[in-house]
Amino acid sequence: MSPHILVVDDDDGIRVLYQTELAREGYQVTVVDSGRTALAAVSERQFAVIILDIDMPDMSGIEALTHLRKTSPETPVILNTAYSIYKQDFQSWLADAYVMKSSDLEPLKKKIKELIDPVEHKCQP
Amino acid sequence: MNSMTTMPATTHETCVPVDLEYLSEGLDELGIGLLAFDQNECLTYSNQSAVDMVALDKVDSDERPHLVQMADVFGSSLSTAVEEVRQNGSRSVRHGLHCSNRHGRHMLIDLSCLPFCGMNNDPCVICLLHDVRQRHQFSDDTKFLRQELQILTDVAAALSSSSELVQILKVILTGATAAQGLGFNRAFLFLYQQDTNELIGHMALGPVSAEEAGSIWKDLDAMRLSLEELLEDNQSDTDEGLDALTDLITDFRVRLDDESAIGRACHDSSWLNLAISDDTDNLTSAFARRLNTDKLALVPMVSKGHLMGLLAADNQITGRPISDEAVQLLQALANQAAVAMERARLYDNQLERSRELERINQLLAESQDQIIKIEKMSVIGELTSAITHELRNPLTVVGGFANLMLKSTLPDENREYLNIISSEIRRAETVLDQVLDFSRASKGENCPIDFSGLVKRSLDLLKGRLARRELPMFLSQASEPLTVFGNSDQLSHAVYQFLKLVAEELTPPGEAEVRTELRDGQALMLIKIRRPDHEREQVRRTLERIITQNRSSQRLTILVAGETIRYHGGNFGIACGDDSLPSLYIELPVMKERPSEPAHTGG
Repeated sequence: MSPHILVVDDDDGIRVLYQTELAREGYQVTVVDSGRTALAAVSERQFAVIILDIDMPDMSGIEALTHLRKTSPETPVILNTAYSIYKQDFQSWLADAYVMKSSDLEPLKKKIKELIDPVEHKCQP
Repeated sequence: MNSMTTMPATTHETCVPVDLEYLSEGLDELGIGLLAFDQNECLTYSNQSAVDMVALDKVDSDERPHLVQMADVFGSSLSTAVEEVRQNGSRSVRHGLHCSNRHGRHMLIDLSCLPFCGMNNDPCVICLLHDVRQRHQFSDDTKFLRQELQILTDVAAALSSSSELVQILKVILTGATAAQGLGFNRAFLFLYQQDTNELIGHMALGPVSAEEAGSIWKDLDAMRLSLEELLEDNQSDTDEGLDALTDLITDFRVRLDDESAIGRACHDSSWLNLAISDDTDNLTSAFARRLNTDKLALVPMVSKGHLMGLLAADNQITGRPISDEAVQLLQALANQAAVAMERARLYDNQLERSRELERINQLLAESQDQIIKIEKMSVIGELTSAITHELRNPLTVVGGFANLMLKSTLPDENREYLNIISSEIRRAETVLDQVLDFSRASKGENCPIDFSGLVKRSLDLLKGRLARRELPMFLSQASEPLTVFGNSDQLSHAVYQFLKLVAEELTPPGEAEVRTELRDGQALMLIKIRRPDHEREQVRRTLERIITQNRSSQRLTILVAGETIRYHGGNFGIACGDDSLPSLYIELPVMKERPSEPAHTGG
């Protein structure tokens, strides 16, 4: 069974793009448009990776991340944003990865693979 | 009165009988001498006061000095006066007759001669003598005191118009040594240093030899200046007057202790009229030896109970004795000087505070300008940040889908279009990255920055990213600290961008020296390009192209970096130094001194 990925972003275009691209990569993809719906989705099922936007209207990605670390600490979270400034927010350090939004999705896909199968991507000595 | 005067004689006086014995008792009580002469001008009577004045040897003997003999005492004044009385029958008066008695004692006599009737009604003359020397002595004392007062007044006037310490010290020395002043041959000034409890030789005035003394005093005498004029003249040029005598005491230090006469004088604020002898303590003797004298006046200069210094004076050239009165007057002068020195010190302090306030006000004004600029930068930063965020999402989506479509099967024409879209999206994202960097930098705090350190960090960062084909760069840091004030992130970003553009645009062969230095109050970063001579013009054109934003891909980069430099009061451009090497420079104003704020050196 293919890994299930949750994409949380308030931008319609981003949600469609990520869903299309990740589905092409063979993942199951669920997309939601806010932090609150993301928390609800996580309470219902287990995800292999959560891709979390930060700047969202009802609940910020940082706030959602704090909740996720309590309710689902084992699920890897990638913070995905247009702002590099959030890297300096120590709460963002709770995330497993921080990837800047870009039309080039390769860095994001690479990071997803690393988190889903860390053994395979472990650095060779 | 010093001059002899003749009072108008009474025009008509009768010959009156006088009881000489009775009269003389009363006159003796007043110290008035009485002499009586007969018609033959022979002395017929004298009271005790007259005997004492004239120093008659045998009062009760028959020897009665003839008036001619009296002329030995009184010169011709007495005989003239007696003769006038005899001829005119009226009184004759003389004031202020200078004469010496028979024992040589100097006298100043008021003389009054009157006709009277002697025995047998013979016309005789009596003379009344009053020694007015004491009155004149009092007058002389008054005159001397008036002179002293005038000296002090002149010195006080000169001191009150001086606020510079050097001028004040010169006034003191001039007042002490001028003939119109206290008239000492030489005067030496020592200033007190409290932390070491030492007197330190500072300034002296006077001749170093008898020959020089003769020459100087002759010249001064010929100028015929009053003390006031002399003080004013000496004040007008503060560099002169520090003559060879000053060398005698320059750097001469005297550590004060209570065992020595000089130490006690300073401690007790009391003057000394000193004659060096075997009993004199070692410190004081050494002090006198250094001044090459054995008799000197020492007066401490004290203001509000605080020792300010010591004034020493002597008559080493003329050998004239130093009177206690002269030392007391020197002390009065020193007291005035001490107050003036204290006032000068306070004035200097006030002046320093005033300058400090002026400097702080200037810094405040500059800071205010800086704050306004930073606020503008902050607003621009927030705005660009918001715009960038809003642009990045659609760019990501458009670019992402373009890339997605490129993975599917497409006609070549469409593939080409999609490649163009993808490429332009990447370029737009690069621009957004730069704008975001600038935006992030705008949020930083302003602080003092080690400019050389900032350049080094930027270069280190760049070296890690330089491709092999790009120009190798090495750093030469200024030896002195170059502290600038501003936003470290913004400036790092700007410097980094300039370095990066040069490295990318200029490729080997050759190398670039990145140099920091202080020049005309500016912290300078020079990127000097070392290339063969024939390529220098081409290098210059390349640098010109970079800073004039001629390439669209660099336009935003250089615009943001350049504006950042300008916002910080700096500038950038192309320079060609003495070595003819073309270079790109960035200059920023070196931070003026700010208290207790270390330069930021963190990475």
